[in-house]
Amino acid sequence: MTALASDTRAKVRQPLGRTQAIGWFVVVVGLFTVFGMGVGTGTAPRSTLTFTPIDVSHGAPWPLGNLTLPTEWTLVLLGAVIIALGAEVLVRCLTKGAMVRVGLMAIVFLLAVLVWASRQPGPSQVPFINLTAILVGSAAITMILIYGSLSGILCERAGVVNIAIEGQFLGGYLVGEMIDSATNNWLLATLGGVVIGALMGWLLAFLAIRYLSDQIIVGVVIVTMFTGLASYFNSWVLTPYPNLNNGNIAANLAIPGLMKIPIIGPTFFDETGYFYLMMVLVGLVSFGLFKTRWGLRVRAVGEHPQAAASVGISVERTRYVNVVLGGAVAGVGGVAFAAIQGQFTPSITSGFGYIALAAMIFGRWRPSGAVAACTLFGVSAYLAYNLQSYQVPISTEILLMFPYLITIAVSAGLVGRVRPPAADGIPYSRE
Amino acid sequence: MSRVRSLWDRYRSASPVTIALLALVLGLVVGAVIIIATTPAVLNAWRGAFHSWGAPGHALKVTVDNVGAAYRSIFTGSIVDPPQFWHSVTTGRDWTASLTPLSETLTYAIPLVIASIAVGITFQTGLFNIGANGQAILGGVAGVAVATLVHLPTVVHLPLTLLAGIAGGVVGGAIPGLLKAYTGAHEVIVTLMFNYVASYFMLFCLLSTPLQLPNQTNAISRTMPGGTQLAPLFGTASGLRVNYGIVVALAATVFALWLLDRSSIGFEFRVTGANPHAARASGINARRTLVTSFLISGGLAGLAGVTWVAGTTHYIDQNFLQGSAGIGFTAITVALLGRNRPIGIVWGSLLFAALEVGGSNMQANTGIPYDLATVIQSAIVIFVATPVLVKEIFRLRALRAGSVKVATAGWGS
Repeated sequence: MTALASDTRAKVRQPLGRTQAIGWFVVVVGLFTVFGMGVGTGTAPRSTLTFTPIDVSHGAPWPLGNLTLPTEWTLVLLGAVIIALGAEVLVRCLTKGAMVRVGLMAIVFLLAVLVWASRQPGPSQVPFINLTAILVGSAAITMILIYGSLSGILCERAGVVNIAIEGQFLGGYLVGEMIDSATNNWLLATLGGVVIGALMGWLLAFLAIRYLSDQIIVGVVIVTMFTGLASYFNSWVLTPYPNLNNGNIAANLAIPGLMKIPIIGPTFFDETGYFYLMMVLVGLVSFGLFKTRWGLRVRAVGEHPQAAASVGISVERTRYVNVVLGGAVAGVGGVAFAAIQGQFTPSITSGFGYIALAAMIFGRWRPSGAVAACTLFGVSAYLAYNLQSYQVPISTEILLMFPYLITIAVSAGLVGRVRPPAADGIPYSRE
Repeated sequence: MSRVRSLWDRYRSASPVTIALLALVLGLVVGAVIIIATTPAVLNAWRGAFHSWGAPGHALKVTVDNVGAAYRSIFTGSIVDPPQFWHSVTTGRDWTASLTPLSETLTYAIPLVIASIAVGITFQTGLFNIGANGQAILGGVAGVAVATLVHLPTVVHLPLTLLAGIAGGVVGGAIPGLLKAYTGAHEVIVTLMFNYVASYFMLFCLLSTPLQLPNQTNAISRTMPGGTQLAPLFGTASGLRVNYGIVVALAATVFALWLLDRSSIGFEFRVTGANPHAARASGINARRTLVTSFLISGGLAGLAGVTWVAGTTHYIDQNFLQGSAGIGFTAITVALLGRNRPIGIVWGSLLFAALEVGGSNMQANTGIPYDLATVIQSAIVIFVATPVLVKEIFRLRALRAGSVKVATAGWGS
């Protein structure tokens, strides 16, 4: 009640408070889960969860039985959880944690959709939900997004908007694929990705820092340029020399012992090297930015470059280093894409770089937040691509819109509560 | 002599036109470097260049031949093929073949002018509409829907089709506009994501609605009836595709000129774009300006989409406005090239349309993929967006006009 004054002022500005809107939205989703999907499916249908991964070439985890649930009651329960989340937002007037609840809601809702879609007897051709397979598939997409988000964090914490992540992905993807095809060595491919990503980061930094260009414009144009270039390479180089695009995927490096744990093992400990590298990078960036002198300087440059300069930090150099580093990280993300995709196909990154950027914003320019946001986007993207096999009565095209719609909804829902680095995107000149 | 001196001075003083022309030169250089670095014949010639005395000369010749052939076919494919033209002049025959390059360039420039003006208007308001592609797609879909599913006399039907296109685009523009105004969602993210949503929406319409051509399983729409098409300017018999869309594009240009220079809304746009704080202080309703700008921009983008369908293809399929960059992204580059001014945009569109049409001709003649045109276009815009760089490369004197304005700064506001 102490916040009443500011609350009424907020209400004058907006007919419906943002928190209330979010809370009601969550409640409506919960009600839909209960009454739209749950009640009325009848008592007969059952939904089955299985846990055996699809790829057991490195040995299966300890077996876990199947879990068969009554569809109707499970949905009612999941819906009740969602309603409770919404009610919590409404009752406690959560201004800070509202979007976290929305994230939880999204995951519970996706689970509910799966339970509903896979019910037997029902229209689904897949009679069960393979939870492990879903997590393994989602982890691959999430990994790519996290590389992109980390790249964004490195750049934006130093005050440069890197909207060219999509282009750096494409660059790393193309170069990584070519190098691996030629040498059959993923280490060299990764190195190639680092170099091309760093070069693209340098190009952005050069134009944005030295010539004070509009960072968003330059970023978008760099993406356009590399989209064209990647297409050009694909038809002019890769088509006549198919041995430069041979479609090898990187082998998984299973961690013995840990990979035996059901569900968690296959998801986190039976992955390509890029997954582990991503985890190390998350830790490094997190530690580096918030616990070291370097990180303090970077953040100072991103928040108040004049102040940073006045204590002797070189704003230009810090920004150059960070944008080049960020480009390199995104380049590795592109190589990781090649490592899980195998073949180079020009248009396949389909906006992942931009979704990664949105995830970074959602995660408040923090590695930990970005990881959470990327997971949300990764899971929803994977499900959107794979829900078709359950014969849900929604067209494929509509399902494929979901990751993008979620991104739009999220960026509409969280604003006002995120604050970018103060000097983010603003060119710095010493005069 | 003094005439030459004054021209030289004008060159050295780096007017926007000089910068744009020099950026074109630099863009072509970038394209040439890419051709050289990726064409096997050229690389092989250089590999042997140090084995014998005559080889370097030969390698140089191969290089010049390859790059020359590529750029020659861009020129002859988009503007005029001199021998062919001379043939027509002397014999008075085959005018279709002689005029096709120009006609194609104009045909491609029509939607590009409209879409670039759409993007330019938001730039002038200090907003970034990267969603012109999605809005144009919605416009095209709405236009085709009205054209094929409604039966009316031509006098009403054609304007209604164009209006439907505008309406489709307005819907597409309203989403980022309203979201930014009422929730603060950054328009860059929203419009980028919306492009993908619009693409899938189009696929959905082409596969699962009455819009689909009957008895088809592919994503292809019904064909627009003759009365709703923008007819070829010189009649169907001429074989030239340039159509009455040119009138629509001119109308859009005039509208934009009026809007930005003569109307009070346009004034508010420009004030907001130049200095949002001053705009707010002088009583301009920031939220209304933002939404209006996006609505007008979306409407024009939608018009671009429907003009392309009604004038050129007469149906849409899954490749509609997709391409390696999509019309929306090319429109961003054209708007920057034309400094967001309608007249500049018309010139920019003609140049970029020529590059695209010529790029296709280059692919047909030399095999070099037309995507090179996209790369050249982007390179041109990078140089235009950093005039200081051009100035340094060509050792020009001072910059006369200001550089491209910072449109949006970061994620704030």
